[in-house]
Amino acid sequence: MKRWIDANTWTLGLAVLLAILLVSTKLIQPDFGASGLDSLARAALPFALATVGMAIVVLAGGIDLSIAAMMAVASVTGAVLMEGASDGQSVLIVLGVLLLGLAMGAINGLLITVSKVPDIVVTLAMLFVWQGVALLILNAPGGGAAPWLRALSAGGIPGIDWLPRAVVFLAIITALIWVPIRRSKLGLRLYAIGSDPLAAFRSGVPVGQTRIIAYALCGLFAALGGLSVTMSTGIGEPIPGPYLLASVAAVVLGGVVLGGGRGGILGPILAVFILRTVRMDLTLLSVDPNVAAIIEGTIMVAVVMFGAVLATRGHKT
Amino acid sequence: MKRLLLGTAMALGLAGMAQAEGYKIGISNTVQGNGWREQMVCAMKAEALASGKVESLNIAHRNTDAAGQLEDIRNLIQAGVNAIVVNPSNAEGINAAIKEATDAGIVVVAVDQAVTEPSAYILSNNQTEYAYLGAKWLFEQMGGKGAVVYMRGAAGAGADNDRDVGFKKAMAEFPEITVAQEVFTGWQQDQGKQQINDIIAAGVPFQGIWTSGIDNVIVDALVESGAPMVPVVGADNAGFVGQLSSVEGLQGAAVTNPGSVGGAGVALAIQILDGKMPAEKTVLVDPALWENVTEEGKAKLAAAANPNLSPEWPVSVSIEGWTNYTMDQIIACKGPGE
Repeated sequence: MKRWIDANTWTLGLAVLLAILLVSTKLIQPDFGASGLDSLARAALPFALATVGMAIVVLAGGIDLSIAAMMAVASVTGAVLMEGASDGQSVLIVLGVLLLGLAMGAINGLLITVSKVPDIVVTLAMLFVWQGVALLILNAPGGGAAPWLRALSAGGIPGIDWLPRAVVFLAIITALIWVPIRRSKLGLRLYAIGSDPLAAFRSGVPVGQTRIIAYALCGLFAALGGLSVTMSTGIGEPIPGPYLLASVAAVVLGGVVLGGGRGGILGPILAVFILRTVRMDLTLLSVDPNVAAIIEGTIMVAVVMFGAVLATRGHKT
Repeated sequence: MKRLLLGTAMALGLAGMAQAEGYKIGISNTVQGNGWREQMVCAMKAEALASGKVESLNIAHRNTDAAGQLEDIRNLIQAGVNAIVVNPSNAEGINAAIKEATDAGIVVVAVDQAVTEPSAYILSNNQTEYAYLGAKWLFEQMGGKGAVVYMRGAAGAGADNDRDVGFKKAMAEFPEITVAQEVFTGWQQDQGKQQINDIIAAGVPFQGIWTSGIDNVIVDALVESGAPMVPVVGADNAGFVGQLSSVEGLQGAAVTNPGSVGGAGVALAIQILDGKMPAEKTVLVDPALWENVTEEGKAKLAAAANPNLSPEWPVSVSIEGWTNYTMDQIIACKGPGE
């Protein structure tokens, strides 16, 4: 038990911070309840899925600047195909979009591995490519979403009203995809190439292949994120939303080291909820919107700096 | 003495009632740092202040997508506002949150662009007409033939698509007009200037320029490069309106696209909260065209120019019959309690 707590101090700290924020939200707005939690969770869903994708790539020692553009491609592809489709067809469409996400991510990873050009350059270039692709598919917001898909993230769970469906959806998806990987050899390899690619290579880890898989997984989560945007808006939007910087911020705040190899998935997800709750509180307090952005950034830096201080202290004792 | 006490009590009572009547209005906007949108937000603040009926404004104003706007609107619902005035990021994407708001008894007014949710009131500039009016004037100036540089807004934006419809309608009426080059400025000054410089440098011949509101930098580029002056159509941004009177040899027209439609939206929301329902759920504000070719047009331009305005702000700072604030109030950009 103590070992588990030691290993997850940062994540526990984030959970406490989130709890404090939720309590203060209730103090600011006494009416805050199930519907408030629901809107918070629905707002957090695309950010959380993008953050999980980004976290996987960062853990494997990379970064994917094209994540928001891939989300846009997934969102418009889903929305265009789903317009007027039957329920059965839309299930196939969703699966197709997920495969498309895997493929887009794999292309990113393949280009990085084969060309040996730094990931930051390749994915920056791919950002423009995917942006163009999204606009080619749909040049203005439009399309549709299947009603069953839209219902997946709306409202609470029957019987447990306060628990938003969006949270359950996020937990199930992430657990289904990430937990088996984390526990398998592949999970070890992802961490290994993130902490030291050379050592990993000498220990027999197929570095290139693992890297491509990491980017493919990122693409998969980007597709899920894009679909979740379509789920909440009911349409596809070709212009990428603010998910790139937000996901990098949540990954860092969530305790994942940007160089790779250290951190988890739960921390970044909690970080997403913290950032959304801060945004909600700033709106509830009707803080000047230009000041609100400054406050958001300051909180982020303060928490990360506080964490760095804690980490150095921990090493001393 | 008794009278005095009674008077004070009544005054206090009235003040208390006024306090109770103070509305709480929420605002949601998804483009930040653009002159037009900043004027819109200032008009909203000024109208709320000038009405004397708004206790506080709750402003969600940032760069985000439709999903982010859903979040902002839901946060405003949580904040317990009486009305929400929103510049929708697109026509359909935020319907779910608007429905939740109106179901909760909140008045929702969409300004600038329309939404398809029937429970919302809409007060918007007629964007199709905006493009048609300017393009038609431009093609007439060009003598009905020649090549036009078509400088659009942001790819994928709703207003850009509406304007494209209007532009194409004018094109259809002038079969001898061709498009020399079509670019998306993204409604960014620097990007638009780079693009026109590239077009001039490439030697593409053109006889007219239509812009979607990125206008003064285009005139700057024509002047700086020494390229022959061609007719230019822009919006009623203060910088461009100034150029129409001052730049030698420039023929051009400004089409009004008032950002003050935001203030009109707040006025409409207050009217509805007061129980005065409008006859129609949708109100369209039609644009006007001010050109510098006729004396009449010149007079209109001179009347509209105002050196105190930021060059990126539209000069049409108010909408007759809707907004109640003064010029000083909108320039001050202060809402109730600020």
